[in-house]
Order: sequence, then C-alpha cells, then structure tokens
Amino acid sequence: MELLDRYLQAVKRHLPWERQDDIIAELRANLEAQLEDKEAELGRPLTKEEAEEWLKHFGSPLQVAGRYQRQQYLIGPAVFPVYWFVLRLSLTWCAAIYMIAKAVEIAANGASAGAIIGAIAYLPWVLLINAAVVTLVFAGIEAAGTRYPGKCVPMAPMAPAWSPADLPPLGADGKKKPRSFAKALAEVIFGFLFLGWLLLVPHYPYLMFGPGAWYLASLPYKLAAVWWPFYWCCVTINSFELTWKTVDLVRGAWQGQKVLRHFAMHVLALILLGVLMTAPGRALFLLKNPAADAAKLGAQLATANKGVETGITIAFAIVVLQLVWGVGKLSVGAWRKRLAAAR
Amino acid sequence: MTLSESLFENLRLELRRGCLTLAVLAQLKQEHYGYTLRKALASRGMEIEESTLYPLLRRLESQGLLTSEWREEEKRNKRFYRLSGEGEQIFARLLEEWNQINTAITNLL
Repeated sequence: MELLDRYLQAVKRHLPWERQDDIIAELRANLEAQLEDKEAELGRPLTKEEAEEWLKHFGSPLQVAGRYQRQQYLIGPAVFPVYWFVLRLSLTWCAAIYMIAKAVEIAANGASAGAIIGAIAYLPWVLLINAAVVTLVFAGIEAAGTRYPGKCVPMAPMAPAWSPADLPPLGADGKKKPRSFAKALAEVIFGFLFLGWLLLVPHYPYLMFGPGAWYLASLPYKLAAVWWPFYWCCVTINSFELTWKTVDLVRGAWQGQKVLRHFAMHVLALILLGVLMTAPGRALFLLKNPAADAAKLGAQLATANKGVETGITIAFAIVVLQLVWGVGKLSVGAWRKRLAAAR
Repeated sequence: MTLSESLFENLRLELRRGCLTLAVLAQLKQEHYGYTLRKALASRGMEIEESTLYPLLRRLESQGLLTSEWREEEKRNKRFYRLSGEGEQIFARLLEEWNQINTAITNLL
C-alpha cells in the first residue's frame, strides 16, 4: 500500500537514526496486520479515503515518532526543583554583579545618561543569556541521566543535605520578633550620645581622630567647603531618626518593623551622598596653599579625589539598588497577600 | 474543551498511565507482538491507542522488563514481546501495590 509506505517514510524522518529501521520494521508489521484484519472484516481493500482516515487516526508522523524519543521533556520533575533554585540564585547574582560592574565602569568613565540607559537596556539580555546557559546545563544533566540511568548520579541525592535541626528559627524569615523595650530605649540613649559626639567633633577633632588630629592638622590638605553641608545633613538626619525613635518610644510604638523609617533612611542617605557629589570640580580635598604646593602635590591630590569620587558613586549605586530591592520586595509581598486574600 | 473538561482529561490520562503499564505487563506473561497485544487488551476492556502502546513496549524493553525477538509468522517478520525475569519480579510487586491501592480506595468510597 503506497499510502502506508509514504506514512512510514514520514515517520522515519523524525525517529532517532540509530533505531529508525528497527522501529519502522515493527510499525510496518503491526500496521499491516491491522490493515489485513480491517480488509478481512470489510471483505475488500480499503478505499483511498478509508485508508487516509485510518492513518489519520493513528496520528501525525511527527507525533508518532515523538513518542519513540527516549526523552520528551527538557527538564524532568526530578531535576526541576534544583534547576529552579539554581536559576533564581544565578539570576539574582548575575543582576547584582552586572549592575555593580556597570556602576563602577560608568563611574570610572564619567557618568552619562546614554551610558546609564544602555546599561539598563542591556540587562534583560544578560539575564536571558544567563538563564539559557543554566537551562542548557540542566537539560544536559537530564539528558545524561535519561540516557545512562545506571551510570549517572541520580538527581535526588544532589539535593543539598539537610537536617531539620538546621532549619532557621521561627520569625527569621519575614516575621521578625518584636523589638523589646530595653532595646528601643538603648537605641534612643545611644542615639543622643552619638548626636552629642557628632556636634562636638568640629570643635574637638581629637574626639574622632584621637592624637592623629594634630598630625592631620599639620598636613598641607584641607577639606572642601562641601563637607560642611554634608556634616549638617548628617546632624539633621540623625536628629530626625532620633526624634522618630523617641516619639515611638513615648507613644509605646517601639515594637513592630519600621518599614517606612527604613526607606526614609535610605532616601536620606542618598541625599547625603548627593551633597558630596555636588562638590565643585568633584574635589573633596583641597590644598591649603595651592600656590606653593600645586606643582608638587596637585597630581597626587587629583588621584585621591578621583578615587573618593568613584567610591561615593559606587556607594550611591548600592544604596539605590538596596532601595529598589526593598521596594520591589515589599510590592511583591503586598501583591502575594492580596492574591492570597482574593483566593 | 472547557477548563474542567481539560482538567478531567489531564487527570484521567495521569490515572491511566500507570494502569496501562500494569495491564501490558500482565498481558505479556504470554508472548505477543504489538498488534495482537493491543487486540488482547481491548478484548479485556483495556483499550490502548497504537501510538501509545508500541513506544511503551520499546520503553519497557529498554528498562529490562520485557524481552523481544524477531520471528516470522504468517509470512511476515514480527517482533514478539514477553515478560523478562526481572519484569516478572517487578510485575509481582506492582500488582501487590495495585491491590493495596485498590483496597484503600474501595475502603474510602
């Protein structure tokens, strides 16, 4: 029957090459036996339409051949939990490393809007490549496990060894213990002490540098004027936080997690770093006597200023990432809660 | 197909998958080739599509549960399957498991 030959030829094209002749021979024997039975029942050969209908019922060549494949999925249920864990971990680290590397690169080469937009636009591709590589590796592990079941290490023992005793204590994951009154009180007391110390430092530098203060005073360098607004911003932020904590303590609201304050502190930290970034010429340290020392110490000082500027830019990027991460985590949590409530 | 029909179909296929293997192993205590095996199963109420049965036979053989040999019958070369020694042992254990599940389900209903 020509139609059956054509059908088997089409199936053969999609079969694994090393077994295709054997499979086709068996399929042919089974189908021909079935055909004979059908024709004996009818007492005549099948018409072209009947033969087409019969083969159609058997399934498309691609579908039939697919069922003879050893493996019909990329990553099976035994490997999937480990794959999913590794994928999420690698994507998180990949995104973090990429953003820090790009922040350093941009800081070193001079920040421009184009460079920042380019770095952000390229991030999805980096994550996609990372996900593809992880998926390929795990597909390889799955394929090897399927093909050589006795020779490969089964996937279940690859799950990290664990003991119930090592499980994190209750509350360590999200629901933290409420803060004790003693802790809240100690924070306020030490906060006042710190603020007092901070206010005294400009008048008595040895409170910060110890005996080194006299040595620093003898150096030919001085702080740029931008350090004064930076200092007063520090004082304001500390006063703000201390006021907030004191009000909480007085109101009896020291327990609970202060999410809003946490974010407010991140924003204020950004302002603080932003103040330093506004220094004229990005010079945070200056020469006391430029006319006399510029030729000798100017280049050295410029290098030091550049290094400090890079450090501040990186710190700024890290705080922005922390803020984005925190807001994202909070949004996902709220969304999950809403979803759970809707169910 | 509605959502509930599609869900039922998925669950039905899941339920049948293991049963089919058990049925094939049970029937292959006697030697059969693909087509007669399918007919024998159908005559006992276990209908299996050809495109499911023939690859299943291959898989069970590659797992060592079946043995096969090519032999001529009625002027045609056919591949005959039957339970291997290991297949018999595994089948006995699976049957025991099946009976336990069956009893448990009957008790639950």
